[in-house]
Amino acid sequence: MSQRRVNIEIAIGIIITLLMTAILVVYGMNEKQRMELFDKQEKAKAIEVGAGLFATNCSPCHGIQGKGVEGVWPPLNDPFFFNGRLQEVGWTGTQEDYIISTVSSGRLVSTRPDKYPGSGKPAMPAWSERYGGPLRDDQIKNIAAFVMNWKATAGEVPEAPATTGPPAGTDITVELPAGDATHGEQIATRDCFVCHVTSTAGPAWAATADQPGIGDRAATRIEQADYTGTATSAEQYLFESIVLPGTYLVSPFQNLMPPDFGTKLTLQDVADLIAYLLTIK
Amino acid sequence: MLKTQNFQDFRKKAGQAFDNRVRAITAGLGLKELRAVLRGDPPTEKPNPRYKVHTTSFLFHIRPRYYEKGSTILTHTFRLGFFTSFFFFVELITGIILMVYYTPSPSDAYPSIQALLSSIPFGKMIRDMHRLGAEAMVIFTVLHMLRTFLTASYKKERSFTWLTGGILLFITLMLSFSGYLLPWDQLAYWAVTIGTSMADAAPLIGKEVNLLLRGAPDIAADGLLRFYLLHVILLPLGAILLISIHYYKVSREHGISLPAKFEEGNVSPEAKKEAKRRLDFLPELFSHEIFLTALGLFILVFLIAFFYKGAPLENVANPQQTPLDAEAPWYFWWLQGLLKIDPAATIEGLLAHFGITIELSYILPSKLIMGLVIPPLMFIILLLVPYIDRNPSRSLYKRPVAVGIALFTLLIMVVLSYMGTPEYGIEKPPATRIFQELAPEEGEGPVHLIPYDQLQTGVYEVNKTPLDNMCPDLDFGCPELESTFEEYSNLVNDAAENGEIVNPQAFMIVEDWQQFLKKVTLRLGYTDPQTGEIVTPTPERIVYLHCNRLRGKTPVLNPLDSTPICEPVQQ
Repeated sequence: MSQRRVNIEIAIGIIITLLMTAILVVYGMNEKQRMELFDKQEKAKAIEVGAGLFATNCSPCHGIQGKGVEGVWPPLNDPFFFNGRLQEVGWTGTQEDYIISTVSSGRLVSTRPDKYPGSGKPAMPAWSERYGGPLRDDQIKNIAAFVMNWKATAGEVPEAPATTGPPAGTDITVELPAGDATHGEQIATRDCFVCHVTSTAGPAWAATADQPGIGDRAATRIEQADYTGTATSAEQYLFESIVLPGTYLVSPFQNLMPPDFGTKLTLQDVADLIAYLLTIK
Repeated sequence: MLKTQNFQDFRKKAGQAFDNRVRAITAGLGLKELRAVLRGDPPTEKPNPRYKVHTTSFLFHIRPRYYEKGSTILTHTFRLGFFTSFFFFVELITGIILMVYYTPSPSDAYPSIQALLSSIPFGKMIRDMHRLGAEAMVIFTVLHMLRTFLTASYKKERSFTWLTGGILLFITLMLSFSGYLLPWDQLAYWAVTIGTSMADAAPLIGKEVNLLLRGAPDIAADGLLRFYLLHVILLPLGAILLISIHYYKVSREHGISLPAKFEEGNVSPEAKKEAKRRLDFLPELFSHEIFLTALGLFILVFLIAFFYKGAPLENVANPQQTPLDAEAPWYFWWLQGLLKIDPAATIEGLLAHFGITIELSYILPSKLIMGLVIPPLMFIILLLVPYIDRNPSRSLYKRPVAVGIALFTLLIMVVLSYMGTPEYGIEKPPATRIFQELAPEEGEGPVHLIPYDQLQTGVYEVNKTPLDNMCPDLDFGCPELESTFEEYSNLVNDAAENGEIVNPQAFMIVEDWQQFLKKVTLRLGYTDPQTGEIVTPTPERIVYLHCNRLRGKTPVLNPLDSTPICEPVQQ
């Protein structure tokens, strides 16, 4: 190796060492921002993962949008959950800790048995694998991150305007008042969407690969040989399905629907709902 | 006051004393001499103090006194061996730093990596260096071996050096493999689960070996600790031992081989003499090493800062959920490819051509042969190359068979590696394959990469929703949403044309799910052409996309790097 080559190497070596130092300095100056960004992304990732876990584990009771079911399972996306719940149960930690703790160990008995009795005994099962549940700690943390993300929008969820009037009852032959499909859609989103989300195109009443929407389906169901109900028109069939859900079951479904919609919905509500469902061909 | 005479006297004495201390540390090199070494100047004293260093200093005695000039030609060695050991030291140093932050337990391992990335300055760089360095070390080890083979530098007195090198290749691969598990993410967990499951196939002891490696029937806390200890103690110790033997042979016994042309080629005696001229370690080789080290570090830092996407970190390991594309690191694809071959079926198929029907699968268990017989056999043959190849010639042209076999083997490895990728030979239901293409379970697909503000809420149905102008209400349009939807349409229509699916009804549904969170559902209802029945439940893939996710990870200093467009997550 000649002296000249050694000199060139020394020169290049010094230059690249200085360059590398410069890169490291700039890199280092950027570190704070990078770490913040990473942190933000990990939190966003926790929400994404939590959303998936919530959908499979929590939504059967608390609803896919966390609205709960009135009179049985409490909502998780209302203002009270974020502003009053901790005081109500006397929790001294953070809201996130409260969620993690509740999800992990469940509830043997409901704290509000009159309002939200829950699933019975226990009111809510334990979800942590430490207590016999299916979820790991990191998964529960992700669920908590997802639930916490409702805080900013809690209370903003559009609710169907309440209607007053006589309850619908269970007599499906009653003549229905004229229905308002727009209001019907709001009721469907509020009350039905909690569970009816299993078909190919979104809610269960939409058209799927092999059958038309519920509007057309209702008319053909009553003509089927195995039909066990008493409805004689599409309107009556839908009425029957809402207030007397066990009368006729399409295979392979089971009757899991609350039987009390006849007392909870007004006649006008049912008419609106049916008017909406009939628009879906 | 000091008199001038006395001051000069004092200065001389102090200088002498200082020089002595320096000589004690440098094992005989004075200040002046040290400067001359670093500048590449000739020795300043006689006898040459630079030779003495090699006997008085431990660190220098393991270095070569000289190499022959011909053997240091760049196009002869490409410095591959140097860079292999360079990366070993990179791994050693970054590895020790990573050990400070890492906790080897299933519940803490993943969070400790997250913490390293989110709250340790330069944490990402150290991790990226460790990862990139590991891959580079595998590459350079293989290239170094290939170079040694092609220049026939494994013959005669270098046979044993080749053997230790072969074992080092194995240790390098094992180091990579054992380190793969430590982040405890899905990728890691399942790659190692599949890797260790190969041991299962061994007759009689398979189950026990597997248990020994994993610590339990499935990898859990015990398994992680075992792999950790393998990775940070046992394998590095083995590597250091083998590298010492390997390197000492080169540096102190036989040196680097001369290019074949100087030994057996038709070159002038002067050229031969020049090729055999000694290049002393001090200063030539030493200064060159410092230069190469600076160069290596610079390239590594440069790549990480501007180009490297970052060492991957998938979702945390979930023993309950096998990902669809469990994939080994790329340097094990050839092994995955081997395992996809069923020797019994292949031979049966061949014999069937000649009208012989024979049942071989119980004599030739596929996993045992392809996983535990052939790879070790290949490895043993590789180790024994110098003892098998008795051809004394070193020139490329005088050993056509050896070179031919080497190139053929290389080709086979490339083909096997291709076969090892998940694209090859794994049958998936068509819907799953389409979903996996668009929105893979791990990593990112086109759906993940749609910018958040283009995710316009709506139901889009393949062959019904027009492909252009899907978002007339967005003034910036939604090109990525459109192109992703088009890709989806094409995949579905191709599958329908190929007859994999009948009567497809494919949807892409975008919903507002939460603040800064959208839900994208891919749903594909179809009739199975084989059974003629509608597939139930309707296959679907749901992806949640948060606005703050910076998809398509960009390097830290990439100028394209942008901050997410949303508000910070409320906590």
